[in-house]
Amino acid sequence: MFDITLATWQILVIKIIVILTVVPVGALVGGYAEHKVMAHLQHRLGPMYPGGFHGWATTLADGIKFLYKEDIIPAAADRKVFSLAPAAIMVPIIMTYLVIPIDRALIVEDLDVGIFYLLAVGSLSTIGLLMAGWSSANKYALIGALRSAAQLIAYELPIVLAAVVVAMLAGSLSLIDIVETQNWPFAIWPPGIGFIAFLLFTVGAVAEMTRVPFDMPVAESEIITGPFTEYSGMRYIFAHMFAEMGHMVAFGGIGATLFLGGYQPIVPIPFLDFIPGVIWFSAKTMFMIFLFLWIRPTFSRVREDQLQKFAWKFLIPVGLALVLVTGAWVLYV
Amino acid sequence: MAVDEHRAPRTTESDDARRLVKARRPGFGIGLLKGMAVTLKHLFKHNTVIQYPDEKQDLSSRTRGVIALKEENCTVCMLCARECPDWCIYIDSHKETLAPKREGGRPRKRNILDRFAIDYALCMYCGICVEVCPYDALFWSREFEYAEYDIRELTHEKEKLSDWMASVLPPPALEEGAEYPGSPTRAPEVADGVAAPVKPVQAEASDAAAGTPERRGAQAAPLGTGGRPADAGAPKEAKPDVGPVPGRQAEAAPAPEGAEPAAAEAPPVQEEEQQAAPSQEQAPGPEPTAEDHAGPGGRTETASPEVLGIQMGAEPASPSPRESTETPSPEVLGIQMGGGPAPSPGAGEDAVGAPEEAETRTPQEGPDPEEVARLQETPGPNVEVPNEEPKPTALDPTEDPKEVYEAVLSDQLAKGSSPEVAEARAKVARVKAERGIARNPGVATKEDS
Repeated sequence: MFDITLATWQILVIKIIVILTVVPVGALVGGYAEHKVMAHLQHRLGPMYPGGFHGWATTLADGIKFLYKEDIIPAAADRKVFSLAPAAIMVPIIMTYLVIPIDRALIVEDLDVGIFYLLAVGSLSTIGLLMAGWSSANKYALIGALRSAAQLIAYELPIVLAAVVVAMLAGSLSLIDIVETQNWPFAIWPPGIGFIAFLLFTVGAVAEMTRVPFDMPVAESEIITGPFTEYSGMRYIFAHMFAEMGHMVAFGGIGATLFLGGYQPIVPIPFLDFIPGVIWFSAKTMFMIFLFLWIRPTFSRVREDQLQKFAWKFLIPVGLALVLVTGAWVLYV
Repeated sequence: MAVDEHRAPRTTESDDARRLVKARRPGFGIGLLKGMAVTLKHLFKHNTVIQYPDEKQDLSSRTRGVIALKEENCTVCMLCARECPDWCIYIDSHKETLAPKREGGRPRKRNILDRFAIDYALCMYCGICVEVCPYDALFWSREFEYAEYDIRELTHEKEKLSDWMASVLPPPALEEGAEYPGSPTRAPEVADGVAAPVKPVQAEASDAAAGTPERRGAQAAPLGTGGRPADAGAPKEAKPDVGPVPGRQAEAAPAPEGAEPAAAEAPPVQEEEQQAAPSQEQAPGPEPTAEDHAGPGGRTETASPEVLGIQMGAEPASPSPRESTETPSPEVLGIQMGGGPAPSPGAGEDAVGAPEEAETRTPQEGPDPEEVARLQETPGPNVEVPNEEPKPTALDPTEDPKEVYEAVLSDQLAKGSSPEVAEARAKVARVKAERGIARNPGVATKEDS
């Protein structure tokens, strides 16, 4: 199209700008979607006033409101760690956006080790949570932090195993290759393996984000906001809201990429090719996000021990078995 | 797997156990999917949220909002303030004496409402005040949007409560074919059923006033004195009470004292009675009878007394109909019982005033005593026959109180009561003996010892 050659640094700047725009906007839109979709699932309306038309500016208004709140750090808290914790949570999430392909040529960085990078970086936010809870000088924050750490470690594995299955089937770790090798019908082929892997990934993602029904660490009605109890103002938004919404969109994108065919059309009819891949990708991401939102008002909270049992005694053995089966499939089919 | 502990024995028999077993079977996540289907269903349903304040709910007519006051109905009986569980109604009033309605009448006392306030900060909208008000002065309204910034503004005074009356809904319509009180629908039917030609009595004010007060007085006398029909004696027999309308006769209770002597005496006393009578009336007018006769049908003749007589207490209590019901009821009842002819003029000797007529009796005359006596023995379903000889509590003392005291005291001490208790019991027994009240059989009496 354009005959421009950009220097490396210029490209870098553009990429940074893109990421830093997409992530907050995605989080805002995701947050608004959460309000409204959850509300309608519960037969109510959700926010209607901010911004006028069905409250589209709800999350924006929330963000602005939190900007002018007082920044309170408890006297007994570890100030340095307390201040750094939100960053430690947010940055890894932002980093996961780097490798998600929106279209064939639209990816911030097409790493050869895409999946590996994704999983490695995604696990880093656990440390941020621990930092937040431990530095708060609050018993309940500590309990929440420890619970979340245990939960995230436990549910990291089903995600990893599902991703491993996908990588084995694709024969590559690069996300674009993974998207390319996927054929219709998505998330079902190979028979059984793909679907179970998809389920493993979804459940693991929901738990990874400490969303209902796995929100014991946060457990609103019980230990207030768990690790984020002592946080207020913008720090709280970064540590909790932003992180969760950003995570939701990221996982939506990852799920779409790994299991739903990424930017490919839903059905391989040539007629549908004229719709750009971005639209398909967005649609699939939105479907994944809808799944996460759908689960939230439907199920009740899982108890901590039930949560752990479910992960270690059910999901991980299933995942391991799945890897075994996939290996056999790849070798002999 | 984690499902092991959920397996229950399958050899149970009862229904509950069976259901429990079924519930504990591993569902393989089908239940989860069912739950998700439920929430999804709500996603696509039309939303029923009423977005207040842009949209308002359709309130039912029975909605309990604010309570409104109709000042003119309030007689300051204070029932609402008394019954309010929260004590949130504040009422002030004072009595005023007004000039008598007629020359030489008794000055009227009226209760004037000074302050009527409901403190809505306390009010819990239970509605007891509305229920309890005997004069329908309090009404429910559907208004609920009267929040204030200052809690003191939540005490609504008389004026504001009267303003709320504008928002009170009209009473719900009665069902098909129901009768409104005072409706003319009944009068024609009944009048048509009357076999005997009704002699229209042009009740003149003086005659009516002369006849009716004594009638009413005489009427009330036997009942007023309650249990002394024997004392009613000869003069009362002339105006025997007619069972059917005791309620109104009870209202004439103030009359008896004045009526008794009047009834037994000559016309001069009747004039006094006549003067006294109007003052007792609450209905206006020097011609009570005429108006009274203007009963449901608006008729001013005897037709309405008959009607009123037939209705037997279904009439709204206006003071004067009762005076005329005494007269026509036997007639009417006589008619009811098969269109019988007018009672015999046998009671003419006792009737004060006008001579009787063969067929119908004028209101000035008393009711036919035979007829009345007969009817009293066999009262109809709506008739209340007053009790005979209600026992007064004061009897002639049959024991000497002093002796009773001594007897009870010694008896109690003998039984081992402490001196104070024995003395107290003895004192009680003495008082009872003084008043002639029967004492418990366990207590020593003079007769026993």
